[in-house]
Amino acid sequence: MGNVVGPAPSRVDGRLKVTGAAKYSVEFDVPNCAHGWTIESNIAKGKILSIETKDAQSAPGVLVIVSHLNAPKPKQPAVKESEALTKGIRNEMRVPFSDDAVHYAGQYVALVVAKTIEQARHAASLVRVTYAPEDPLLTMEDAEHKAVKPKKNLGDNVQIKKGDVDIALQDSNLVKIEQTYTTPTETHNPIEMSGTIAAWEADDKLTLYDATQFVKGVQSVLAGAWNLAPDNVRVICPFVGGAFGCKGAVWPHVFVAASGAKAAGLPVKLHVTRRNMFVGTGHRTPTRQTIALAATRDGKLQAMRHVSQTLTSPVGKYVESCGARSTGVMYESPSIWIEEVIYPVNIGTTTFMRAPGECPGTYALECAMDELSYSLGIDPVALRLANHADNHPTKSVPWQEVLKETFKEGIGAAKKTPAFSAKHLKECYSLGAEKFGWAKRNPKPGSTHDGDLLVGWGMATATYPAHKMSAAAKVQLRADGSAIVQCATHDLGTGAYTALTQIASEQLGLPFEKVKFELGDTAFPFGPVAGGSNTTGTVGTAIHEVAQLLHSALAELAVKDSKSPLHNLSPNDIAMAAPGQLGSKSDHSKSDAYIDILKRAGRDSIEVETKLKEMEENKKFAFQSWGAHFCEVKIDPLLPRVQVSRVVSVMNCGRVVSAKTARSQIMGGFVMGIGMALAEATEYDPKTGMPATRNLADYHVATNADVPLIDVYFVGEPDFAFNPIGARGMGEIGITGAAAAVANAVYHATGKRVRDLPITPDKLI
Amino acid sequence: MNESDAPVDSGLEEFDELLILSNLETRRKFIKQVAGTSAAITIGPALLSAADATATSQIASPSKSNSDSISMTLKINGKDYTVDLDPRTTLLDALRERLHLTGSKKGCDHGQCGACTVLVNGRRINSCLTLAVMHEGDEITTIEGIANGDELHPMQTAFIEHDGFQCGYCTPGQICSAVALLKENHANSDDEIREFMSGNLCRCGAYPNILAAIKDAKTKST
Ligand code: FES
Ligand code: FES
Repeated sequence: MGNVVGPAPSRVDGRLKVTGAAKYSVEFDVPNCAHGWTIESNIAKGKILSIETKDAQSAPGVLVIVSHLNAPKPKQPAVKESEALTKGIRNEMRVPFSDDAVHYAGQYVALVVAKTIEQARHAASLVRVTYAPEDPLLTMEDAEHKAVKPKKNLGDNVQIKKGDVDIALQDSNLVKIEQTYTTPTETHNPIEMSGTIAAWEADDKLTLYDATQFVKGVQSVLAGAWNLAPDNVRVICPFVGGAFGCKGAVWPHVFVAASGAKAAGLPVKLHVTRRNMFVGTGHRTPTRQTIALAATRDGKLQAMRHVSQTLTSPVGKYVESCGARSTGVMYESPSIWIEEVIYPVNIGTTTFMRAPGECPGTYALECAMDELSYSLGIDPVALRLANHADNHPTKSVPWQEVLKETFKEGIGAAKKTPAFSAKHLKECYSLGAEKFGWAKRNPKPGSTHDGDLLVGWGMATATYPAHKMSAAAKVQLRADGSAIVQCATHDLGTGAYTALTQIASEQLGLPFEKVKFELGDTAFPFGPVAGGSNTTGTVGTAIHEVAQLLHSALAELAVKDSKSPLHNLSPNDIAMAAPGQLGSKSDHSKSDAYIDILKRAGRDSIEVETKLKEMEENKKFAFQSWGAHFCEVKIDPLLPRVQVSRVVSVMNCGRVVSAKTARSQIMGGFVMGIGMALAEATEYDPKTGMPATRNLADYHVATNADVPLIDVYFVGEPDFAFNPIGARGMGEIGITGAAAAVANAVYHATGKRVRDLPITPDKLI
Repeated sequence: MNESDAPVDSGLEEFDELLILSNLETRRKFIKQVAGTSAAITIGPALLSAADATATSQIASPSKSNSDSISMTLKINGKDYTVDLDPRTTLLDALRERLHLTGSKKGCDHGQCGACTVLVNGRRINSCLTLAVMHEGDEITTIEGIANGDELHPMQTAFIEHDGFQCGYCTPGQICSAVALLKENHANSDDEIREFMSGNLCRCGAYPNILAAIKDAKTKST
């Protein structure tokens, strides 16, 4: 089965992080840096009538006040949606300060730039803005007439019809359930708030220290906006204090900081306030999902229908595809119908948040499966096993592949839907059930107690697709046997610094301690957005390629060197023979050390870089990661507050490059799932559309006291059909299914099915 | 505030600000310093309700705002720093923006996340919730002063070993808090540690590993 779990080094950036030496974006010391403080709209829709700045202008320390009246105007950067993943992502399409229109409460309407934070903040309180308000659309009902059914989301179909669900749903011999599940707006709230230092080095040269998941994207969007050569925009971000999706797109504050700096003629630091993190950097849309399932009495699914309704803003462009990314991949069923409807409302723009689509989608689907298991009287794990999908249930194999297969194996051999590669979900269920002690479960709700406490056990399936993108990498090998590898990717806390150092050490054939991996700077070769759990596989592949280039470059030197044992061999006959050594493939007695090759050539170092290539996808398979969560809750019936008391998560994500950081990723995903299940909700004022929960005292994320020990296991094999590293990523899968596992455990404990997250005590009374 | 103005320990250990405000002389000075600024909001309702009529009227005439800076000496990690600061400057902003000690993090600026936790005279406080001017003469320890030169504090080593963080942004606050927790003798069971560390949010969800790190550091230090 191969070595699925790799070594478990501590983080290479650990020392920097525990000593406070890791520099996050707004912490760079830029000389003469002024400070920005924004003013936000307090109406949800309408026009700005006036902006009175006289008092503010004369307040001490104020340098400039920027608004649509005077802002140096960037143009709308022309990034095509199809190019978002290479050229920069924008979810909010409007450039701030472009006109007097207000599209949502909390929209930036002006920026004060002053010498200090205190002065900027005080002066901002003196700016008076008047508006001509209009009636906003704030709910799905309000926006009914504007609802749309998008065809695609990032290239994937989101409206899916397979077979005829209506026939099965009307068949009286089948067991059916139909329910609606809702999730509220959730806000990422990484502990590091977004922020940007913008410094114009010259009229046509801009440096940004920006808290982002995608330096190259920020570079290309800002270059487009200000009509600059991309090379004249440098973006630096070596550490990100958490992101979870809210630092993937280029949000208004980045443009605002650049405008402010241009107007002030000084570098400007704009640290987004926690309050504005609830509006100006995206959030997960609330969802309303209606699921209908029909199954035979022995538990075989015959129909699955998943309709989801979500929000966007009038200036937004984002689809949370709940159904396609859960029901569209999860189980075998002859008929599947998936529909997504989006409603534009006057609320800040929605964006991807950890496992976008999959996370709310698996919550609804996996609760529905639990309900079906009770209707059928079948154990929840057994029901899932009965509907296990070996092949992708809704994706068809491209015709070229069908043709190839038919040619090779004869007519009839070709599969219509691609098989999932290296799928080991059944082992996730069995190992999880064993470690958790699932066999001892009495399925009757309310039947299990611990003293006065009600005890509930629930489970759910986790899934997340393996995304592949393109990246390039550069390596410099030095004569002392050390190497620096670079790619403009990011470590969001994911452990990328560590895992990519491990991959570089393995692929280059150098000791772990001798390899330094650098990231987070547009001066490095291209790295795509650090999102969608793609980084280890994507950048790992680029490292794999650059290692081969380095070996060829060394081989070129060796064959020309009369003192080398490899002299005059064909470079094609030469490959890495052992760590630090090249050798002849045909004659194992001949080898030469990298450092000897360099020294004899009189070189201090050698440097090679890969070119960015079109991504090649293996269309023969479907690539998806899998897992199973098992969860125990304890509830005091008098004060029905839910405490998660035990969790076992078993994951199948291909190769686990770095065991310690991988485990943390899954654990962290589940922790966020606990918050989602029990506490998180951004509430809005129903009249003004202003978020009512705009700080961490009102928006409750899980705290240390809410979280038990979480046992994480990995099963499966490296997925080499996916990429040469064999890794499918693990940043998001931990949260998928997590809220369902908690909700299903709550049902088992209490007999109450709460279909409206979060499960707060009032809903259990 | 100089040494003689320092509040006496009245047992209200949680609230430095309240202690200072309860000293009438200091309170007047303090209210004057923050009056008329939106910074007043950061110190919360306790202060606003303590504000007298004069202060309120000053809030109403903001254009008189006085941003004259005050020269003060802060003792941080055993070193004296003399700086001119706007009296409205929080201890956190003084550290991050003026002294370039960016190890202490800003995660909310409202006393709700714990990322800015530092030790003042050995006790953990949220440095975003207190003004720098209130800490002349105090011994302030930030994450930059937790290690002994190049040798990491056992709590730092334990955080690395147990992967007690991911993005690392809450980490300086968690570590300062955990160091104080052991001194407070509030690390006697898993549940007690969890409860007394719940003022430090970790959105990456490293909590189980933070717990493991604290337990490990505790055994190593006893
Ligand atoms: S920044 Fe001080 S508690 Fe959050
Ligand atoms: S490590 Fe990221 S917030 Fe705690």
